[in-house]
Order: sequence, then structure tokens, then C-alpha cells
Amino acid sequence: MKSKYFVLLAFLFAAAAQAHKPSDSYLALSVDGAAVRGQWDIALRDLEFAIGLDADGNGDITWGELKARRKEVEAYAFSRLNVLSDGKSCALNAADLLVDEHSDGAYAVLRFDAACRASTPARVEIAYSLFFDLDPTHRGLLRFERGGAVQTGVLSPERPRLAFTAGEISRLSQFFDYLREGTWHIWIGFDHILFLLSLLLPSVLILNNREWKAAERFRTTFWDVLKVVTSFTVAHSITLSLAALSVISLPSRLVESTIALSVLLAALNNLRPVVTERRWAVAFAFGLIHGFGFASVLTDLGLPQGSLLLALVGFNLGVELGQLAIVGAFLPLAYALRRGWFYRRLVFTGGSATIALVATIWLTERALDVKLWP
Amino acid sequence: MNIYRIPALALLWAALLASQLAAAEPFLPRDDALVLEILPGKPGDPAAAELRRLRASVAAAPTDIEAAARLARRYFDLAMEQGDPRYVGYAEAVVRPWPEAAGTPAEMLVLHGKLRQYRHDFPKAMADLDLALQADPANFGARAWRAAILMVQADYAGARRECELLAPLATELHAVACTAYVDATTGSARAAYARLSAALVRDGERYPEMQVWIQTRLAEMAWRIGDHASAEWHFRQGIALGFDDNFLLAAYADFMLEQGRAAEVIRLLKTWGRSDTLLLRLALAARQLKLAEGEKYARTLGERFADAALRGEKLHLQEEARYLLELKGDARAALAAASENYRAQREPRDALILIEAALAARDPAAAAPAMQWFESSGFESARLRQAALRLKALKP
Repeated sequence: MKSKYFVLLAFLFAAAAQAHKPSDSYLALSVDGAAVRGQWDIALRDLEFAIGLDADGNGDITWGELKARRKEVEAYAFSRLNVLSDGKSCALNAADLLVDEHSDGAYAVLRFDAACRASTPARVEIAYSLFFDLDPTHRGLLRFERGGAVQTGVLSPERPRLAFTAGEISRLSQFFDYLREGTWHIWIGFDHILFLLSLLLPSVLILNNREWKAAERFRTTFWDVLKVVTSFTVAHSITLSLAALSVISLPSRLVESTIALSVLLAALNNLRPVVTERRWAVAFAFGLIHGFGFASVLTDLGLPQGSLLLALVGFNLGVELGQLAIVGAFLPLAYALRRGWFYRRLVFTGGSATIALVATIWLTERALDVKLWP
Repeated sequence: MNIYRIPALALLWAALLASQLAAAEPFLPRDDALVLEILPGKPGDPAAAELRRLRASVAAAPTDIEAAARLARRYFDLAMEQGDPRYVGYAEAVVRPWPEAAGTPAEMLVLHGKLRQYRHDFPKAMADLDLALQADPANFGARAWRAAILMVQADYAGARRECELLAPLATELHAVACTAYVDATTGSARAAYARLSAALVRDGERYPEMQVWIQTRLAEMAWRIGDHASAEWHFRQGIALGFDDNFLLAAYADFMLEQGRAAEVIRLLKTWGRSDTLLLRLALAARQLKLAEGEKYARTLGERFADAALRGEKLHLQEEARYLLELKGDARAALAAASENYRAQREPRDALILIEAALAARDPAAAAPAMQWFESSGFESARLRQAALRLKALKP
């Protein structure tokens, strides 16, 4: 009968739902290539309810009591969490045990590593069942980080699994990542810049009776540059895509040596012209081999399985942007200076000779696998 | 600003920043004896021993519906007493094996209904209680909870009907309590107060568990009709009964805050920070007294609302609106929370915060439903009347 009166005692709280803090855990996972690291904050009160921490029963949980139950806490928690990388369970290895304070009290902080077989997994899935048997209102608040992009989710008895596929992680930001990498690569890839410069240097000049003269009209120069750059771009895009998609694969030593050779030949062609009218054809032919060079960078970066095409287009566009910046800086300057001795002797002849020298060193290094300069 | 206060403010700010930084990182304690957490309930508490016994009997016989219902009820009562929602979660786990369907015993259905209403799922709660009454037409608890839910939704005719149906199932004290509760909200607070206090004097001794509830209600009624001395007396009588009661403490704290007795609020609630409702009152009191802890309380409260938002839950909009209005001074956000709250809960307290938020945001139209309720219900409260008058005076 007593309970009958308790009912009315509670009458007033109908709706009661005055707020307070229900049970939550905070699970943070960060994926970096094959490495998955985690931090899991679990309320001491919840652990006390589930497995008991207060050994001396005095109503206080001390650090000593928590430490003494460390093995049990870790066994309990990690048996209720499963991280799957491309469908395969990762082994969860407990690292540090720390303590933190959240808005409703003290939490055990379990840091861990997940050993996953798949490197750069396309899909990471989290299956969670902590405390759901004891308290269906418990929630796991998940923070998932990958490649700088953060996603959050709530794990509940109704939705105990959450999956993150690589493609979902802000496609746009991923696209820009690869775009930036592409631009960066052409900027620091001296062999590509020097090859391009070697082909561009003569474009403000015209060969007349085996002697270089200043081009008279900007239009002619502009079309010449456009043809060279476009051919180079089309060619390396083709091979970059084929290599990135693993349709063709060439040994990197051969590729790198041929790139060096292409720079050497382009520079020599300025000093002793062989090909003059159809430099775009040279750009195209050697552009094919430069594409393989770009592809090796892209492979090193790691290609997301879920959004291969996106990465490819982003990287390629980045390369073009970098190229465009070089052309944009070079062309007006060269055109303005083309009539003087400075350009023809120093920039054109001297530059081509220097490029040829550098390319020779590269070629020797790469072909023979030796180191000629530090 | 007084120029001499700047260094003091700078110091306070630096201290605040430092404490935030300190709290932002997990740490490795150096001392094994460091107390990390103080568990609710006192050691050696007979209630704790009873809870252990109830839990053990459920563990021993998981299909024993009586044992499960006893444990779930105990958890639910603990949640109400302590204002701690974890107990609601534990209760849900205990009742889960019994479905919310015809054929389930009435006691279990009533528990389901109570848990549903806790989550503000009022239609499903009413459906569970209906099923309980089908199984057991004389179920007192199902009737009482139906009346309570209808009160929250400001359906006074419905609540009165439930009280009438409750009367033959209940003692006179319970029946009077039910109708007095409705009457006191609909313009007859004086008469309701007289009837309920008389019934308490007559029968109160026989039902000690009822007394906390009745004393709280009597205090509220006296406060409402401006009899502050009687309100104080009832609040103190309620506290003196020695039950933990989150709602009584919250109401008493509100009463004292309105009278500028913040120091007493701090003394009363110092150990109650676990409950969000009471933490809000603590923060408000500390703010009135300009205490350093005020910032900490307010920050903790803000973090709890942020955590609740992460969970995707909105069970605490009334408190959140008060927090936004009275502690953060963000009238627009407070009004948004109060409006959303009023769609689910329409008790006088819900109307008050909506009107006050609309007043602060200078947006009378937003409080129209609460104003309509205030004018049609006949509810007596000086504070509400003043707020309503000021809102009306506001040119839209």
C-alpha cells in the first residue's frame, strides 16, 4: 500500500522532467591513415553502478580505488565497443588511464589505440553497447575526426552503430586538400617547372635564319604559349589518371630519369634548335612521362578509395593552377624584356644552359642512382 | 565603471581563465587518496540498503514482475527526490522486459506511463495509463498520473474529470489534494488553500509521505495569494519532514530568491549541484550576492545544456530559458527556448518564463499563448500579473 502514496507524492512532478544530466559517455576517435586513436570518457558514477568502484563503501571514489579496478574497467568498457575498419574488427589496446571533470562529475578517461588491418579504410564503423542494458537512456556522444574533418554522432540503443565513409568527410574540403597538394607539388617540383620554362623561354622569340629575334606580335607569342601549356596539360592528365587508377604502372626510376632527360633535351633545344615550330608536340610527348611523376606523388599522399575521382580531379586542377601561376608570372615579364640583350643572352641562353646543366646532374643521379650534390 | 575595480576584474578574469584551462585537459592524479567523486546517498543509509535489497531480488528472479515493479518505482522516486535523471534510466532498464501493450499488468503500465511523461511523450504516456485502467479500472496511480499530465498541459476540465474519477478510489485527503490543485490554478486559490490545509490537519498524520507534496502545494498557494508568512511556514514544515525533495527545494529557493534572500538559498542548496533545477537556483543566488562561485555554477549549467543539446534532448527548456534570460541576459534565445517549452508544457511556471522572456525581448506577440492562458485561467499571482501588465503596455 505504501507505494500508492508515493504515487501521489510524485503527482506534483508530473511532467517532472526538470532537467538534469543523464548518463553520457564521450567517445573521440581520430583516424590517420591506418592509425586509429581514441579517447573515451566514462562517468565514474556509471562505472560504480555497473561494476562497483567504491571498494571501502564510504561513498567516495578515490583515485586509488579507480586505479585498483583499472583492469576491470578496461575489460568492461572495451568489450562493449567495436571499431570496424572496412568491415574488419580492430583490436582495441588500452593506453593511458586519466581523469577529467565534466559538467556532472568526474570521468575516467580511457585512451586507446585501435589496431586495424586496412590502411586508409574507406569505411570506419563504430558499434557501441556501453550501459545500454543498465540504462537505456545512456548515450555515447561520438566525435569522429579524420583528415582534419570532424563529424559527431549520438549512439543510442535505437542506433548503436554509426559508420563513417571517407567520402562523407566533407567532399569539398577533401577536394581542396588535393587541389592544394597539386599546386604545392608543381611549385616545389623543380623538374616540372624547369621543363615548362625551357619550352616557354623561346616563345617570346622567333627563329629567323638560325638566329633568335624578338617576336613582333603578342598574339603569336600567346598562341604559342597556349599550345605548349595545353599539350603538356592534356598529356600529363592522361598518364596521371591512368597511373593513379593503376591501369599502367612504370618503375619510378625510369620515370624520374626520363623526366630529367626531358628537361635536358628541352633546354638543349633552345641552345641548338632542332624542333622549333612544333614545340607543343615535344610538350605533349614528354608531358606523358611527367604525368607518371605526378601520379607517384598522389599515390604517396594516399588515395581515398571512396572518392578517387574527386582526389584525382582536385590534384590535377591544383597542378594546372600552379602551372598557370608560373606562366602568368613568366609571360608578361619575358615579353617586356624580349628585345634586350639581358633577355636573349642572359635569360634565354644563360638560363637554358644552366637548366641543361642541372638536368644533366639529375639525369646522372637518377639513372645511376648516385648522389652528386647534397 | 569605477576605475578601482578594473584590477580586481582583471584578476577575476585571469583566475577564471586559469580554472577553465585547468579543467580542459584530462589529468593524471598524483595522490591515491584524491577523492574524485562523491556518490549520491550517505554511507550506511537505510535507503541505500533497501535499494541493494530490491536490486538483489530482481537479479535473483528477473521474471518476477512484483520485484521489478518495486525496484523501478524506487528508482523513479529517487529520480524525483534527487532530481537525478540517471535513476530514470535505471528504471527504464528494469521495466523494459514488459511491453507497453494490453496484457501487461497495470502496475507495469503505470510505470511505463510515468517514464514516458518524464520524457515529455505525453500522448504515449496517456495511452499507457489508459491501458493500465483497462487492465485495472480501480488503479489509483493511473488516475492520479492522468490528472497530473492534463494539468501540465493546462487541460483543467480534463484534470477535474480525472479528480472526480479518482475520488472513489482514494482517501479523502488524496481526493481533496487533487481538486485543490486544479482549483488553485483556476482562480480559487484561497478556497483551495483553506480546504487542503483543513484536510491536512485532519488526516495528515496518517499519510506522512503525502505531507511533503501537500506542504509544497500549500506554500505555493499561500505565496500566490500574497500570504508570504504562511508560505514560509509551509515550506519550513515541508523541509522539516526530512525527505529529500527536489521540487520542494526548487520552489522554496524561488520563493526566497524573489524576496532577495539569496544567502539562505546558498545555505539550503549548497550540496545539491547535481540537480540542474537546483543548480540554476544556486547560480541565481550566487549572482545576486556577486559571489565568485556564481560564474562556476553558471558555466557548469551552460555545459549541461550544451551536453543535452549534443544528446539531441530538450527536456529542460524551462530551466534553459531561465538560464538564458537571467544568467546570460540573452533575451532572444531565452524567448525561443521558452516558446518551444510552452508548446509541450503549459504550467504557470512555463507561462511566467515565456511572458518574462517576451518582455525582455520586447516581443509581445511571442507570448500570446501564455497571455491567453493567464487571462482565461484566472490564475492568481502578483508576479505574473505584473509581468502580463507590463507586456500589454509594450507597444508592439
